[in-house]
Amino acid sequence: MDIFLQLLINGLVVGSIYALVASGFSLIYSTNKFVHFAHGGVIVLSSYFLYWVSAILGWDFYVASFLTILFATLLGYCLNKTFYQPLRAKKASNSVLLVASVAILILFQSLALLLFGADVKTIALPLSNHSINIGGAFITPLQIIIILVSLLLFFALRLLMQRTKIGKAMRAVADNKEVAEILGISAERIYGTSFAIGSAIAGIAAILVSLEQNITPLMGTSLIIKGFTGSVIGGIGSVPGAIVGSLFLGLAENFGTWFVSAGFKDAIAFILLFLFLLIKPQGLFGNKNNQK
Amino acid sequence: MIDAYFIHLLILIGIYLILGISLQLSLGYGGLLNLGHIAFFGIGAYAFALLSLHGFPFALSILVASIISALFGWLLSIPTNKLKGDYLALVTLGFSFVVYAVLLNWTSFTGGAFGLANIPRPSFLSDNFSFLLFVYVIAIISYIFISRICGTRFGKLIEAIRDDELAARSLGKKTLKIKSWGLVISAFFAGLAGSLFASYITFIDPSSFTLTTLIPILLIVIIGGLTSLPGTVLATIVVVLIPEPLRFLGFSSSVIGPLQQILYALLLLVIIYYKPRGFYGKIDLE
Repeated sequence: MDIFLQLLINGLVVGSIYALVASGFSLIYSTNKFVHFAHGGVIVLSSYFLYWVSAILGWDFYVASFLTILFATLLGYCLNKTFYQPLRAKKASNSVLLVASVAILILFQSLALLLFGADVKTIALPLSNHSINIGGAFITPLQIIIILVSLLLFFALRLLMQRTKIGKAMRAVADNKEVAEILGISAERIYGTSFAIGSAIAGIAAILVSLEQNITPLMGTSLIIKGFTGSVIGGIGSVPGAIVGSLFLGLAENFGTWFVSAGFKDAIAFILLFLFLLIKPQGLFGNKNNQK
Repeated sequence: MIDAYFIHLLILIGIYLILGISLQLSLGYGGLLNLGHIAFFGIGAYAFALLSLHGFPFALSILVASIISALFGWLLSIPTNKLKGDYLALVTLGFSFVVYAVLLNWTSFTGGAFGLANIPRPSFLSDNFSFLLFVYVIAIISYIFISRICGTRFGKLIEAIRDDELAARSLGKKTLKIKSWGLVISAFFAGLAGSLFASYITFIDPSSFTLTTLIPILLIVIIGGLTSLPGTVLATIVVVLIPEPLRFLGFSSSVIGPLQQILYALLLLVIIYYKPRGFYGKIDLE
């Protein structure tokens, strides 16, 4: 029972981290309709930004966190303006945008490697020092915060998409770009807005991941692959779906270690990704229109 | 006598050339955005290394490793046959992640993160100059083979399927079978390149077969221009040599690695924006 509870907690924590990555990624996908792998690159650079401001410059952690979210927002917004928008203007296909986003991911990771070196960086906060015992299983306060933040995002993003004007405009562009433009919604502006909001969430993800795990240049690829997998499971383009899919992925990985050795966690994730892409491409909650 | 480092570069050009022209077959001629190419390269390298470490003769190991890679190409083609565009790209990318995770974690078989060392090289290829000649013989044979089959009925058919699959099918062509063959042949030569890579470097680990390594290979095909094999040759030389000046600027080797990646990534972004058809490309990436 202890093991079951611990696996459940670990699965929820890891799943919440994936959800933080997946929700921003999925929000961008829902309007832009292309796979923005460089989302992982935004998380890497934001994590190093946080490390630089809080550990090297020695600023207060909470000020540094706020600046990190700002940095991520700007980075994502500029990324769209400098790379994707010109390509879209030239009527580049989704495949071209995908190749560009992979190139940007590698670019950002290499930049982090160049500036900060390959060694692991850590940011220490007292939040992860002591564990709380729940019925024989352990969880740190930081991990509780991670789970709460991902739940909060679930509701906040639902509210944003369903109730606010900008959310409705985003759904309109996602649904039918031409009609939305006839009604006076600028699609380019909506693309920019979703990059800004999605990347702000990437900034939040960067902060929590930096505290829970180590910062390495290659974390971008592994995070975005998992976030992407979570989004595909939940139904790509559906933000709440992406969060549920990510939690499912985290739990599947951890309970999978009952059957295979822990080293094969990644293989479990990729096999799930592979199966969902092939058999149920609309995911658990995606609507059929989002499928290709 | 040619400088040892120059020989090293020429060998790399030969190996990348085989990778480039084999990707040209699936990506250029077949129009299949195959991001799993790096996985076939890895499968070939590991299959070759494991076979020759278990005492199989050199030539047999290369042949069997390439065939194993081709078999994986066939397996991947079964579920992906009906997919196209960025969706196919994602599934093939997912395939390369699965292969990477298995190479990294099946420690008892693949050596895990430590990789496989002391891969034997036959005595007649022990010096790098004879290895260079050997690589170029293989590269030229591969080039002739791929350019020949692209000129045959098969080549015309796979291009017809790329341009309009429905039309090709309505003319009674077995489009799925032809696309499968395209991927199988492409994977065979990627596996061949992997075998040559493993026997040349004599040490392989999973980190050689990640997204990072995919960038220069994609770059070769896109700079050369889709469906242009002579363009691919030119592009291979350019892409392998372009980061070399970095070495003469006095950077340390820990800086050169990331700089090289940055250079490749930027180059790829610049090319797809300013000159998406590369040197001699005839079609766009769909």
